Amino acid sequence: MTIGYLLAIPVVSAFCCLASGTKAFVRFFFVAGAVLLAAAGEYFVFTRAGQGNLFAFGGNLFMDPLGALFAALIVALGLLSAVYAGGYLFEEGPSAIPLRKLRRYGFFFHLFLFTMLLTVFANNLGIMWISIEGTTLASAFLVNIDDKKSSVEAAWKYLILCSVGIALALFGIILVYYSAALGVSGGGNYLLNWTFLAGRAKELNPQVMRLAFVFILVGYGTKAGLAPFHSWLPDAHSQAPSPVSALLSGVLLSCATLGILRFHILTKAATESPFSGHLLIFFGVLSVAVAVPFILDQKDYKRLFAYSSVEHMGLVAAGLGFGGAWGLYGALLHVVNHAFGKSLLFFCSGHLLHQFGTKEIGKIRGILKVNPLLGGAFFAGIMAITGMPPFNIFVSKFFILCGGFAGGHFFACGILLFLLVFIFAGFLRHACNMVFGIPEKTVRAERNRVMDGVLLAGVFFLVLLGVWVPGPLHRLILGAVSVAGGTTG
Amino acid sequence: MSSEWIPSLVHFFGMMLLVASFGIIAAPQIMASVRAYAVHSFLLAVITVLVALAGHVEHLLISAALTVVLKTVVIPRVFSKMIHRLGVRREVESYANVPFLLLISVLLLFVSFYVTSGLRGLEPVFSKEFVSIAIFTVFFGMLVMISVKKAMTQVLGLLLIENGLFLLGITMTFGMPLLVELGISFDVLVAVFIMGIFMLKIRGAFEGIDIDDLTELKG
Repeated sequence: MTIGYLLAIPVVSAFCCLASGTKAFVRFFFVAGAVLLAAAGEYFVFTRAGQGNLFAFGGNLFMDPLGALFAALIVALGLLSAVYAGGYLFEEGPSAIPLRKLRRYGFFFHLFLFTMLLTVFANNLGIMWISIEGTTLASAFLVNIDDKKSSVEAAWKYLILCSVGIALALFGIILVYYSAALGVSGGGNYLLNWTFLAGRAKELNPQVMRLAFVFILVGYGTKAGLAPFHSWLPDAHSQAPSPVSALLSGVLLSCATLGILRFHILTKAATESPFSGHLLIFFGVLSVAVAVPFILDQKDYKRLFAYSSVEHMGLVAAGLGFGGAWGLYGALLHVVNHAFGKSLLFFCSGHLLHQFGTKEIGKIRGILKVNPLLGGAFFAGIMAITGMPPFNIFVSKFFILCGGFAGGHFFACGILLFLLVFIFAGFLRHACNMVFGIPEKTVRAERNRVMDGVLLAGVFFLVLLGVWVPGPLHRLILGAVSVAGGTTG
Repeated sequence: MSSEWIPSLVHFFGMMLLVASFGIIAAPQIMASVRAYAVHSFLLAVITVLVALAGHVEHLLISAALTVVLKTVVIPRVFSKMIHRLGVRREVESYANVPFLLLISVLLLFVSFYVTSGLRGLEPVFSKEFVSIAIFTVFFGMLVMISVKKAMTQVLGLLLIENGLFLLGITMTFGMPLLVELGISFDVLVAVFIMGIFMLKIRGAFEGIDIDDLTELKG
């Protein structure tokens, strides 16, 4: 099996969803497509990851351990999200979504998965840019599903801000291409291929690469939700349906971070200076700092989770900037952990919205009494996302900070620890008010076994990754660390 | 056409490009802005052809043809359809008046030339002025995006930024590889269609396409 077949699965599923005549068919193709993609994807990634780089389409696409790690994450989250959406969006009753919209939803959902996979498999940096812009275009329709004022506004801001950001990234790519065309002998059509550039990074013009990295960081940073370019993020995440919020937060932000990481590796090798790393640390710490006041004083729980994503992307960026084996391993593990933790919280928010009918934190009391399973999963998710042991995010945060201390970034680490205390306090206050206490009014208590199962699966991953990183995943991350550290290329 | 003429012709069209940019912001109606954008794109295509002839880079001719078809025919058509469906024939409402915006544009032009003159290591394959003009076009697109109240002009600003980047690509490196250029054009086309659909949605939800009304989400 090759990359091409894997990429074909979501495209076929997308068109099957679009062509279906009844809701049952849309639902079938929607969920079955994601199941097939996840099964094929995980099998492909874990069987082929250790065997060196795998190229496709004339070297324009490839899979290295770094891309493989992100691809494994995309298909896994795609599966969870599709299964959850299969219960969430296809509900019967007075608020049922019409067939026409469901078809479109299924189509863009799978197209979104396709563009994200294309992003992580792209070797040609131009194609990576095209597919990142593609993720914006495909997911804009997913953000706006109900045509309400607020969701249309969120989708519009998302489209415009991310498109401008991505345009700046294109500026950076032109500069990289220029630097390659000028400095590197030979190459021809391979001049934009990452593998080619990474091998010849010493020949790239360091001045131009510095300039290019700044543009890339601002451009892809917009998409990755790094402050101060994050202003679209809370709007889009809070207005999108919960399964989409989970995908946006869990993997879309990480895909853009992968884009930054690829250029960070090139810039570090070309300039032989910690310039790009320092920029990443700066914007990482800034993102965590910007998120703090919004987390402490937040009234809408979906926006709360969205700001928490800004914080976590900041941590990942800081970890990548710290570098070293600890920092890189921590940052990449954090991407995995954050994806599972945040998606669990967004799935919980879907349950909450359904049962309590409000997005306001202040109006929800006593989740544990109303629905013990939801209350437990929600509280576990909150504990995990704030970095409490025995959950997974504790481990990766610990590694990132270890990387920082090992690299001698005491000041940055000190600020991060200080800020994390505030974030923990803010989350705990909101969560205690919501989870405990006595519910104010009677609420709808319908159950959907499949959707509850998704929550349980999420909690399972949080605890599992907290106490033990499975062998294949560990090897995959180690491979990715060696790519990111520049020891193989 | 002998090859000595090409550099002076390119410079002439470069100046025309600047004039077309100013036309976009000075136009009294949205449709006039769109026409100015079409002219801008057409001049861009002419410059691309000249660069292709001067540098003997054949694949740039395909990019030029694509630019003509896409940006001077298809996208302005989409815009005029949208204008009819949205019913916005009124004057362009800006946050500042036209002379002031033109003054800022000129200032941006100075800044663009100033910052590029200081850059070390940037020796474009074609002509150094065009890096300044391209960067100006990017700045100018941003100015258009923030200065005018209609959602439609935001899209126009975005397209201008894209034009600026295209110009930067062809003058600095004789254009990106053809595959990438094709992909970018495809993305731009899809983006315009999707943004068009969203403009209709904004009109449906807000009874107008003024950006000022988009203030539901805060905090």
